[in-house]
Amino acid sequence: MATTTDELRIADIPTGVEIDPVTLDIIEGALKSARYEMDAVLFRSAMSPVIREQHDEFPMITDPRGRMVVGQFGAYINEMMEDWDQGIYEGDVILCADPFKCSGSISHTNDWLVLVPIFHSGELVGWSSQFGHMMDVGGRLPGSLPTNAKTIYDEGLIIPPIKVVQRGEIQKPVLDLILNNMRNAAMNRADLFALVAGCRAGEKRVQELCDRFGKEIYLAACQALLDRTHAAMKQLIHWAIPETPQTFEDYVDDDGLGNGPFKMKLTIWREGDHAFFDWTGTDPQAMGPVNFYLSEGMFKMFIGIYLIMVNDPQILFNDGFYPLLHIILPEGCLLRPRFPSALGCRTHALARLFDVLGGALCKQAPEINTAAGYGTSPYMLYSGWGEKGDFFFAMEILYGGIPGRPIGDGMDGHSWWPLFENIPTEYLETYYPLRVDGYTTITDSGGPGLHRGGNGVEKRYIYLEPGQVSIHDDRWLTRPWGVLGGLPGGRSEKILKRADGTEERLPSKCDEVQVEPGDMLVYRTAGGGGWKDRLDRPVEAVQKDVSYGLVSAAYAKEGYGVVISADGSVDAAATESERAKQREERGEPQAFDYGPPLAEVLANCLAETGLEPPTPAVPLRWSPLESGEDAQKRVREADGMSPEMVKTW
Amino acid sequence: MAYRLGVDVGGTFTDLFLVNDEDGTQHRVKTPSTPSDPSQGVLNGVARICETAGITPADLGNIMHGTTVATNAVLEGKGSRVGLITTQGFQQILHLARSQTPGPLAGWIIMQKPEPPATLADTREAVERMGPRGETVVPVDEKQVESIVKNLVESGVESLTVGLINSYISNKHEKQIGDIVERLYPGFPVTLSSDVVPEFREYERTLTACMNSFVRPKVQAYVDRLDDELKKGGATCDVNILRSDAGLMTTREAGRNPIYGVLSGPSGGVAGALAVSVRAGHPNILTFDMGGTSTDVALCENGEPTIGRDTTIGQFRLKVPSINVHTVGAGGGSIAHVPELTKALRVGPQSAGAEPGPAAYGKGGTEPTVTDANVVVGHLPPRLLGGEMTLDVEGSIKAVAKIGEAIGLDTEAAAEGMLAIVNENMAGALRLVSVQRGYDPRDFALVAFGGAGPLHANAVAELMGSFPVIVPPSPGLLCAIGDLVAEFRNEFAQTIVTPIEDVKPEDVASVLEDLGKRTRDWMTSEGIDESGQRITYLADMRYVLQGYEISVPVNMDDVKAGKLDGLGDTFDAMHEQLYGFKMDDAKQEIVNLRCIGNGAVPTMNFPSATPSANDGSNAIVEDHEVVFQGKKIPTKIYDRAKMTPGAKFDGPAIVTEFDSTTVVLPGYVAEMDEFYNILINPKA
Repeated sequence: MATTTDELRIADIPTGVEIDPVTLDIIEGALKSARYEMDAVLFRSAMSPVIREQHDEFPMITDPRGRMVVGQFGAYINEMMEDWDQGIYEGDVILCADPFKCSGSISHTNDWLVLVPIFHSGELVGWSSQFGHMMDVGGRLPGSLPTNAKTIYDEGLIIPPIKVVQRGEIQKPVLDLILNNMRNAAMNRADLFALVAGCRAGEKRVQELCDRFGKEIYLAACQALLDRTHAAMKQLIHWAIPETPQTFEDYVDDDGLGNGPFKMKLTIWREGDHAFFDWTGTDPQAMGPVNFYLSEGMFKMFIGIYLIMVNDPQILFNDGFYPLLHIILPEGCLLRPRFPSALGCRTHALARLFDVLGGALCKQAPEINTAAGYGTSPYMLYSGWGEKGDFFFAMEILYGGIPGRPIGDGMDGHSWWPLFENIPTEYLETYYPLRVDGYTTITDSGGPGLHRGGNGVEKRYIYLEPGQVSIHDDRWLTRPWGVLGGLPGGRSEKILKRADGTEERLPSKCDEVQVEPGDMLVYRTAGGGGWKDRLDRPVEAVQKDVSYGLVSAAYAKEGYGVVISADGSVDAAATESERAKQREERGEPQAFDYGPPLAEVLANCLAETGLEPPTPAVPLRWSPLESGEDAQKRVREADGMSPEMVKTW
Repeated sequence: MAYRLGVDVGGTFTDLFLVNDEDGTQHRVKTPSTPSDPSQGVLNGVARICETAGITPADLGNIMHGTTVATNAVLEGKGSRVGLITTQGFQQILHLARSQTPGPLAGWIIMQKPEPPATLADTREAVERMGPRGETVVPVDEKQVESIVKNLVESGVESLTVGLINSYISNKHEKQIGDIVERLYPGFPVTLSSDVVPEFREYERTLTACMNSFVRPKVQAYVDRLDDELKKGGATCDVNILRSDAGLMTTREAGRNPIYGVLSGPSGGVAGALAVSVRAGHPNILTFDMGGTSTDVALCENGEPTIGRDTTIGQFRLKVPSINVHTVGAGGGSIAHVPELTKALRVGPQSAGAEPGPAAYGKGGTEPTVTDANVVVGHLPPRLLGGEMTLDVEGSIKAVAKIGEAIGLDTEAAAEGMLAIVNENMAGALRLVSVQRGYDPRDFALVAFGGAGPLHANAVAELMGSFPVIVPPSPGLLCAIGDLVAEFRNEFAQTIVTPIEDVKPEDVASVLEDLGKRTRDWMTSEGIDESGQRITYLADMRYVLQGYEISVPVNMDDVKAGKLDGLGDTFDAMHEQLYGFKMDDAKQEIVNLRCIGNGAVPTMNFPSATPSANDGSNAIVEDHEVVFQGKKIPTKIYDRAKMTPGAKFDGPAIVTEFDSTTVVLPGYVAEMDEFYNILINPKA
C-alpha cells in the first residue's frame, strides 16, 4: 500500500519465531475451514441465482502484506490499494468493480469485489475478501454484458475502490449512488451484504486464531504456509517445466463484432528455479468485449493449481510460489488490453486460457494431460415486461462436455467451473415467463477416446412473453481438441424456432434478439474432447453409451470402430475388422487432434454453421501491440532479473 | 407388556437396551452385527437380552429400532433396479444432476461421479406437462404411458418412480400415472415424487423418490423378515423404525417410505444424548459421537435437535428431513501420513477400518492410526477394562515412530501432534454446526459418546469452550437408548411460493388445517391416541428470489385471527441470527407450509442415586504415566463401574469402562452426577 494514514498500524511478520509443525498444520486447517465458511455464509444469504445456485464467487484471506494465504484466485490487495488515500480503519468495507483499477483481479464490471481489513489489537493482521458476479450492474442492457460493447463504458457502472462502510457505518450516499444505477437495486444490495457477511466470517476466524495462538504465532504461521507452498512449487516446477521451450496455441472464435478467430499462444520454459510463461504471439486485443485482462497473480494461481492438483491436493493454495513464476503479457494483446477496452465477455478467453495452459504443460506431465472441454461459460439472458408491466430478467449459465480425463470419461453436460450448479426448471418457470421444453445432453457430441469426452448440453426454452434474448457462447467454429488418439468434441449452435414454424441460426454471441410468445430457442453447447486412443475403448463401455442414448450406433462404428447390431448386442467379428481397418487408415495417433485445419474450417464455415466466418483481427489504432521482446524485458526488470537475458523463440 | 426394547445395529456391534417401564429396571447387551443379514444379529440379541432379563419375547411391549439397511444400500450402491418415468424432455434429469463438479478450480479432473439410482436405460419420458401454477399444459397420454410402464416392468425393473416437472404444485399427473401402474400391475411398488417430497426443485425431488425406490424392496424385505421371525419367537409387539429426524415410524411406513430412515443410525445417538443431558439439566448440547472411521456431531437447543430439510448421504443430497448431523471422515482408525512434498502432518481420510485396524489391535495393521497415538501417549491404557483385549503397545509405538521420523519429532510428540490435528478437525466440524449457524459454542455442553468420543472430548471441549463435557454411562450404547426415547414423528407439507403481502391469512389457515388433519389422521392410524399427539406448524420462508428457506414457527391462533405480520418479523430475526443481516426493502415469501406431528412415548427412568461426596479413590485400579503437553505425568486409572454418584476428582485421570475410555486432562475436574454421568469442567 503506497499511502495510508498515520493511524494504520500494519502488523510485522515476525522473523525467527519458532513454530512447531503441529501448530502450523492446525492453523492451516483453521484457515481452510474459514474459507469454506465464507462460501457457506454467502450461498445461504445471496439473492442472485448466479451466486447462489451457480456459485460464481471467490473468497480469499491474506496476510497483512496482502499476500493470499488461503483462497482460489490469488491476491490483488496491493495492486488495488496502490493509490488509496482514504485511510483504513477497523470496520471498513471497500467495494471495487473496476478491472483496470485492480490489475484485472476482477475481469469485468459485473464482479463486485469486497475487501475487509482484519484488525487485531489495533493492528492490521490481514484482509478478508470475496467477489461475486452481480446479475446486473446497470448500463445499456439487462445483465450489463452487451456482446457488441466497444468500450468498458458500455458495460454498466465502473466502481473504483470505494468505502461503502466506514468504521462500521454504512456510507449511505455512496451506496445510494451505486444502487440508483442498478435495474434491481434490492438484489444488488442483498448480494453486496451477503458478500460482506462472508468476509466478516473470515475476519472473525482470523481474529480468533490471533486470540488463541497469539498474533506473532499466527503471522509467523502465515509466512510458514507461504514458504511451504513455495518449497513445494519449486520441486513441481523442476519436475513439470523443461528448460527447452514448449508452445501451445488455440483460439477464441470471435468477438461478437465479426472479428476473429483470436489466437492465444503460450510458450513456457524454465531457467533454474524460475519458470517463464510467455504470451507473445497472442493476437491483438479485440474491438468487441472478449478481451480478458489477465491478472498476473491470478494466472500464477492457475498454474499452481494445475500442478498441485495431482500431487498433494491438500496443499494450501496461496501466494507463496509467486516469485518463482514470471508472466509475459505484451500490452495490447487479447490478454493485456488497454483501458478503456470492453471486457464484459472475457469468459471465453478465460476458459481457453486453461486449454492452452494444459496443452503447454502436458508434454512433460502426461498425468495431468486432459483433452479440451466446452471451453467457455455459455449464457442465456431473457428480459422484458410482463403482462402487468412488471420487468423480468432471467439469466442462466449453461454447461457442456467435460474433457476426457486420465481418471475416466468427461462428464456429460457438467460444469467445468468449480461448484457451479444449474438452475432448476421449476425455479425458472416459477419466476420467469418461460417454459423449459427439454434439458438433455447431445448424443455424439462427446469426442471419442479411450475415455470419452462429455456430451454438450441442449436446453430448449419456450418464451411466454415478448422480450429480448442475449446469447454468449463460443466453440461454434473451432473444436474442443482431443489428445493422444482422442477426437475433438462437437461444436455449439443456436437455433431459434419461431412460433410460426420458421427457423433461424443465431450467432454464438448476440443481443437484443426479439422473441414472441411461443418462440423456442434451442441452445446447444460444445462437447469435450476424447482422451487417448478411441479405438482402445472397451466395447462394453461403447455398448453402454449406446444403450443410454449418449452415443448413436452409427457413431459407435465411426468413432470407436464398434459395430452394434439392431438388438443392441456387439458384433465382435465386425468390430475387430472395423477397428483394424480404422487403425490402418489412421496410422499413429496424433498428440492433439483439432479436427480439420483452420483454413478449411473457415472455408466451410458458412456451409457447416449457417454463419459467415469472422475476419482476422488487426491491432486497434489506440492500442498498438507491444513486441514480445519489449514485454519480456519489462517483466524481467520488474521481477528483479537482468533485462539483458531476454530469450526469443 | 411393560418392557420396551431399543435396538441399534452398528457396523461392528448390535446394541440392545431393555427397560421395564413399571419398575425401571434395565438390561443391556452387545452382540456382533451380522452384515449379510442384519436381522440375524438383532434376533440373536433379542434372545440374549430376554434370557438375561428372565422374560420371553411375548413380554416385549414395543421394539424401537435404528437400522442402517437403507444407509448401506445407498452407500454401497446395492439397491434394487429402479425404473423412472419423467416428463418428456427430461430423461437425463438424474444423469445431468445439478451439473456440479467439485472445487477448487480443476476439481473436475479428479471427480468421481456416482451412478444414479435409476440408469438412463431404465428411464422413460411420459407425454404430459404440468405448468408452474398447477395448470395442465399437456394432458397425460394414457396409451403412451401404458406402453412405457409395460416396457419398463417387463424389462425387469423391481421398483418404479414417477417424477414429473412441477408435480410439487399439482400431483394430478403423477397420481394418474401411479393409477395406471396399479391397474396394469396391482401391488407393484411405485413411488410418486409428490408423495415423498411435495417440494420445489425437480432434481432433488426426483432423486429422493428414486432413492426411495432404490432401497424400498431391501428395507421391506428386512422389516418383513424381522417381523416374521420375532412373531415366530412369540413376540406380539410392534416394531418401530427410527427416522433420520429422530422420529419413529411403523414398519409399514418404513416399507413404504424407507428413505425417511436413511440416516436412522446417527439420529438415535442424538436422541439418546438429549435424553441424558436434559435429565442432567443441560438442554443445550453439542453431541460428539466419535467411532472408528467417522465422527458425527450435532447441535441441540432447548432439548430439541435442529432438524434440517436435507440429508446428505455419500455424494447424494436428498430432500428428506434429518437431524443436522455433520459427519467427518475421521475416527479412531484414521491413518496419519506425511506427504513428501510439503512435509505436513495429515490425518485421514484413509482409515484402517475394522480389518486390519490400528496397529494396537495386533491384527496385522502397521499404519499409524489415531488409536495408536492414544496408546503411545497413554490415553488408552495397555489393558482395556472389561478385559477382552490387550493392546499391542509396541506395535503402536513402531507405527507412530514412522510419522515422527518423517516430520522430525520424537514418537510421543508425533502422537500428540496427531491427536491435536484430529481434535482440530473435530472442532472444525463442531464449529460448522454451531458458530456457522450463529450459535456460541460456549453456551453448550458437549455430550461425548461412541467408542472414541470420551477419549477426545475434554481436548475438543477445550478448543470449543463447551462445558461441561458429559460422558453418559455406557457411551457405546447411547444409540440404543436413543431408539427407546424417540417419539413418533411425521410431517406433511404443501408448497405455495407466494409473497407474504399476497397471502391471505384464511388461505394459510385452511392449508395448515388440512395439513394438521392429515397429520392427526396419520398419528391415529399409527395408534397414537389424541392425548399423546403434539402438532407444530411451520412456514418455510425467504426473501423473494433467494434460493434457500428458513423454517419459521407459525402460531395457529394468530393466523386464525387474521394476523400474519408476526411471521415476517420472526423471519427477519432468524435471518439476522443466521447471516448477520436482514433486509427491510426486500419482499418476503412463503415457500412451503408444513405440519409436524409428534406422538409421545412413555418416559424412561434412568438409574440414579443420591450423590454423596467422595474422592473416587475407591475406584482407582492402577497408577500409570501419561503424556500431556510433552510431559510424562503420573495419572490414576479409575474403574467407572466402582464409582458412585458424588465422586469428584482432579485431572489428569483416565476412567475406563466396558465399552469406552474417558480422559480427564490436567487442569480439569471430573464429577459423577446422580445419573452416573461423568461431568468434566475446568478447575476453578
